[in-house]
Amino acid sequence: MTSQLPLAAAPGVADAQRTPLAASDQRRRAGSRRVDLAYYVFLVPALAAFTLFVVAPAVVGIFYSFTDYAGFGTWSFLGLSNYQALLADPEVRGSYAFTLGFAVVTVVLAQVVALALAIALTSRIRFATGLRTIFVLPLVLSGIVVAYVFSYLFSNTLPAAAAAVGFAPLEQSILGNPDLAWLSIVVVSAWQTIPGAMLVYTAGLSAVPADVYEASSIDGASTWRQFRSITLPLIAGFVLINTVLGVKGYLGAYDVIVGLTNGGPGTETRSVAMTIFSGFTGGDFAYQMGNATVFFVVTVLISVVQLLLTRGRAIRL
Amino acid sequence: MGRSTTTAMTPSRRAFLAGAAAAVGLGASGCGTAGSGAGGAELRFYMQKTEVIDYFDDLLRRFEAQTPGTTAVLDSTVSIAPQFVRGDPGDVGCFNNNLELARYLRRGVLSDLSDLPSAGRIRTDISDLTDQYATYPGRTSVLPYSLTAAGVIYNQQIFDERGLPVPTTWTEFTDVCTALQRDGVTPIYATDRDAWTLWQGLFDYSVGSLVDTGEFFARMKEAGEDVGLGAGVSFEEGLAEPMERARVVSSFFNPDHAVRNYADGNLAFGTGQAAMYLQGPWALGQIALVDPDLPVGTFPLPLTEDPADTQVRVNIDLGLWVPTETPQPEAARQLVEFLMQPEVINAYNLDNLAYPTTTDGPAQEDPRLAGLQQYVDDAAFYQGAGTFVPASIPLGNYVQAAMSSGDFTAMLRQLDADWRRLAVRGGLV
Repeated sequence: MTSQLPLAAAPGVADAQRTPLAASDQRRRAGSRRVDLAYYVFLVPALAAFTLFVVAPAVVGIFYSFTDYAGFGTWSFLGLSNYQALLADPEVRGSYAFTLGFAVVTVVLAQVVALALAIALTSRIRFATGLRTIFVLPLVLSGIVVAYVFSYLFSNTLPAAAAAVGFAPLEQSILGNPDLAWLSIVVVSAWQTIPGAMLVYTAGLSAVPADVYEASSIDGASTWRQFRSITLPLIAGFVLINTVLGVKGYLGAYDVIVGLTNGGPGTETRSVAMTIFSGFTGGDFAYQMGNATVFFVVTVLISVVQLLLTRGRAIRL
Repeated sequence: MGRSTTTAMTPSRRAFLAGAAAAVGLGASGCGTAGSGAGGAELRFYMQKTEVIDYFDDLLRRFEAQTPGTTAVLDSTVSIAPQFVRGDPGDVGCFNNNLELARYLRRGVLSDLSDLPSAGRIRTDISDLTDQYATYPGRTSVLPYSLTAAGVIYNQQIFDERGLPVPTTWTEFTDVCTALQRDGVTPIYATDRDAWTLWQGLFDYSVGSLVDTGEFFARMKEAGEDVGLGAGVSFEEGLAEPMERARVVSSFFNPDHAVRNYADGNLAFGTGQAAMYLQGPWALGQIALVDPDLPVGTFPLPLTEDPADTQVRVNIDLGLWVPTETPQPEAARQLVEFLMQPEVINAYNLDNLAYPTTTDGPAQEDPRLAGLQQYVDDAAFYQGAGTFVPASIPLGNYVQAAMSSGDFTAMLRQLDADWRRLAVRGGLV
């Protein structure tokens, strides 16, 4: 049977063999540590594609960050000078400051709102299913479309509404305001990512057994106390996943910013991803490859720190 | 040019990848047919100006009919970089002659076209413009195909009703603006949210008639990492007076210029909400969509008291080139010659609000552009200062910031600092 498994890349074959695999799975649990070859075979296509389309280009890119390559033609080694230039570039430093600040603010806002929505929608309110469908809609819209729609709202609708109620600070579109434009990006990015986080929380909340709430209410725990001492520890794993994925996504912010402010006013809202991409048409290929490499390391470090900070905080029943 | 530049700059990463994937597909299919083809050449013609894709597709069909056995496909991928990166840049390119193309030109990947019969018909004052960005020794790498000119677009009805003259000096211009303002009319509509409109309009127009851009940037490149106040050449010194003009011009903008975008601008100007608009011919089509009957004219922005100083902003919107890597240079050059035939090149330019680049080219007949014709004929033109600034310096964003802070000097200092940094790492073309 195992000799046929190289064919497993075809989904039909995998389906046909589900039953024998389940049987072997039971055998493994019964004591044998030998893992069926099929599991490895299933990994091969994904691993090959990942290596070919992600790892290999990344390695090539990192290599070129040590050269003066323009993307074509001849090149020569520069050593670390691209990296030295990066550290001295206020434009690059500014984009990191903006991106990190934006990611932190957005992830906090999105998680709080998503968790609140998830709690509301898992309670026994009316129309929960219908509301859930509505709340999930932003998830299926493309970022650039969302950004253009919000761009219209921010430049026309919001100022008109503010003028109607006489609220002066919002009568001019915040997109043109160097101090406030970043807020529009926070709002739209959060709006777009809340549904995904909310779904994860909904799944987490429905996994919390009802009897622990029952027991605690017999002991006289308030709702807030229940949330703090039961809900939050039991869904801590979900908070972690959402936060790590959220931060990672916000760090790569691109399409929403392009649609809303295109990095402006001035360079106030230029994200790292936008700076990197500018190197492609701007002829700064190798230099921005260096930037991309630095950004990759920064992103990995942030994720590792997040994992370390939260490790062991989750409680299992 | 404005439109093609912005489409090249703003696509999302995803759209770009899709485009690149399409290009890979095209390349692959090209290889397949080239391998199996019997004798006839298959040419890939690279042209990404969205508005004229159908136009050039028709031209390619005519070319095929004239040259049996040769087929030609149009490749309109947004970005040319991946094509050169893969070493498969097509057989004939027809591209905006800008700094991006200059990078390829300077590295010698575009072949010499000087021995083509049509090369001798190009106006030398126009081919000199391509040399301002980059040259490759001993080669004519690009044949200018289409020249566009941009000036101040104005609403003739608003001007006529108030008896305002078309300004020919700086004082007349500010007087017109003040008169309009007194009358409650927005003198100039600006759209800061699309930063490219700021540098192509306000920034370039304010520099053009005061500074010889080709000469200024040649000196800037030569000074490289030494540019600055003490070095004798710098943005801060060289563009101080132009930016003072820009500051004054911007004081006549619509109050909400900071939050308006290009589409808002076309709509506002098309509905008569402003008297003037600092845009190129690409905006005329958009304005006509709003109101086809709006009486519109154009004039170059005067910056001095001598009308003879005034020049018009031009760019070589399309130039033809043949990559050195093409496997079929003869067929490629044949296509270039086909496109350079007087009836083809003249018809294209007259149909698309542009000017033929040849010595025998007719005048542009569109009345909306009549105010610019004399300047084009006399070669009283310049390539915009912003087009000499590499894309790694976000000039549009800087002008946007200067507009909101009012501090143009800080912007020029920033440009000097960026220029020096770019020179250090060899980023100047």
